Amino acid sequence: MRLAAALLGVLLATPAWADDCPLDLGRGTGWVVFSDHYLMAFRSDPLRIEVGEPFALLVNVCTRRSGAAELLAVDANMPEHRHGMNYRATIVAKGNGRFRAEGLLFHMPGRWEITFDVRAGSESERLTHDIILK
Amino acid sequence: MIRLLLLVSLLAAGAVGVRAQHLLDWSAEEIRAVGQHGPWPPPPVQDPSNKVSGTPAGIALGEHLFNEPRLSGDGRMSCATCHQAGREWSDGLAKARGAVELDRRTPSLWNIGYLHWFGWDGAGDSLWAQSIRPLLDPREMNGGPTRAGELLRSDAAFACGYERAFGSRPGSDDERLLVDTAKALAAFQATLVSPRTGFDDFRDALLAGDRESASRYPLAAQRGLKLFIGEASCNLCHLGPRFTSGEFGDIGIPFFVRPGEVDPGRHGGLGRLAASPFNLLGKYNDDASGSNARRTRHVQRQHTNFGEFRVPGLRQVGRGGPYMHNGSLATLEDVIRHYSEVSPDRLHSDGIPLVRPLGLTVEQSADLVAFLRSLDAEALARPSPAPLCP
Repeated sequence: MRLAAALLGVLLATPAWADDCPLDLGRGTGWVVFSDHYLMAFRSDPLRIEVGEPFALLVNVCTRRSGAAELLAVDANMPEHRHGMNYRATIVAKGNGRFRAEGLLFHMPGRWEITFDVRAGSESERLTHDIILK
Repeated sequence: MIRLLLLVSLLAAGAVGVRAQHLLDWSAEEIRAVGQHGPWPPPPVQDPSNKVSGTPAGIALGEHLFNEPRLSGDGRMSCATCHQAGREWSDGLAKARGAVELDRRTPSLWNIGYLHWFGWDGAGDSLWAQSIRPLLDPREMNGGPTRAGELLRSDAAFACGYERAFGSRPGSDDERLLVDTAKALAAFQATLVSPRTGFDDFRDALLAGDRESASRYPLAAQRGLKLFIGEASCNLCHLGPRFTSGEFGDIGIPFFVRPGEVDPGRHGGLGRLAASPFNLLGKYNDDASGSNARRTRHVQRQHTNFGEFRVPGLRQVGRGGPYMHNGSLATLEDVIRHYSEVSPDRLHSDGIPLVRPLGLTVEQSADLVAFLRSLDAEALARPSPAPLCP
């Protein structure tokens, strides 16, 4: 029941235009998600997500113009089965665009879609990322 | 003579052929899936919320308390009345029988220490908190909040056992002594780890590439295992070495307990969890870091929890029964028939349903039962506990 090691080994590929964004997660691993307006990097803590075990996400987020952005909420669901987690994550701001989402737990193997609600000023957006838990 | 030699050769070839067929073909993906159901046994339980977890003195005190009828209101019922060693730590009844008959079945205690949620509805977030409930519940042991404290103070052997386990004589705080009684009970229950099985030998041999050892696993069980991890997808919920996610699901068992009354399952359990002074967010959690309370802190009560019950582990399942949270299915064959014929309308899933009518053939049903029975093994007889303070 381990997240494929290959997924965890994805190197943080910081785009050249994101030099001023705080995307360094400190361990050289993680995922980058971006849209027209936002850049975001995240990794799990612990690095290996196990089915049925709680984990946290370390999230760094900013706008593509290197402006400050805020992480409002993190959630996850299994689109095929139309159900979410049995747990609700809480967000703690760590400063300088860094956040920790605590209390996630995937109770089944399969495809999970993680959703990140981010905001800069009055503009908010939902970013998503899929991971497959085996 | 030539014909005889030919016949002998053919018989020999046939025997080799039969022998070679004792192991089905297992793909790399299937071997990976089978491997996830082990190794067995797991490391001993260490519960940071319980300071006597894993300690010999705590376990010894807990075993004596487990068999102690003076903890009940009428002095006639102990934990062992319902959780019987000779009945796989259950009672063989469809409905548990305490002071009155209850609406749910007595769950087995095998491997209970490895769970994170306890009771069919998960109202307990630690084994010790769960152990308090039957002591107090008027429908079960009906012991009342002071009985455990009175017993620990008044009985010389228990007082001595308590001091050995907790480092001091029993005091006057009855609630503290009730919690400590439950923590000793939990320390004992956490030692109830089911034995290795034929499945475990097969799993280890398959992973090691030992075809000869793996081929000793019956063909019917192999076919059933392939269904379990494949077409039937049982392992989406019955996963890991204990064959359970430890979480909750609605599998289409009716939740009416009598006309006009339903068992809300997980929905009700989460309400009781939040209201309990003994949950892991309270003062009796011995884990100062609080990290073991993450599930309790973050679990959310949702309307979909209605009618959900804890996914049971499957080790020793064939030796137990009746089955389901309400004991409504008598045999393993009935359980397989339920999953084969369950009504999708009752489950009202709007996505790909996790539980769907499998439409199994007679042979497939028998294979699944054969696999489940390979998760059973004879446990060593348990000796009587040594005196607490000889």
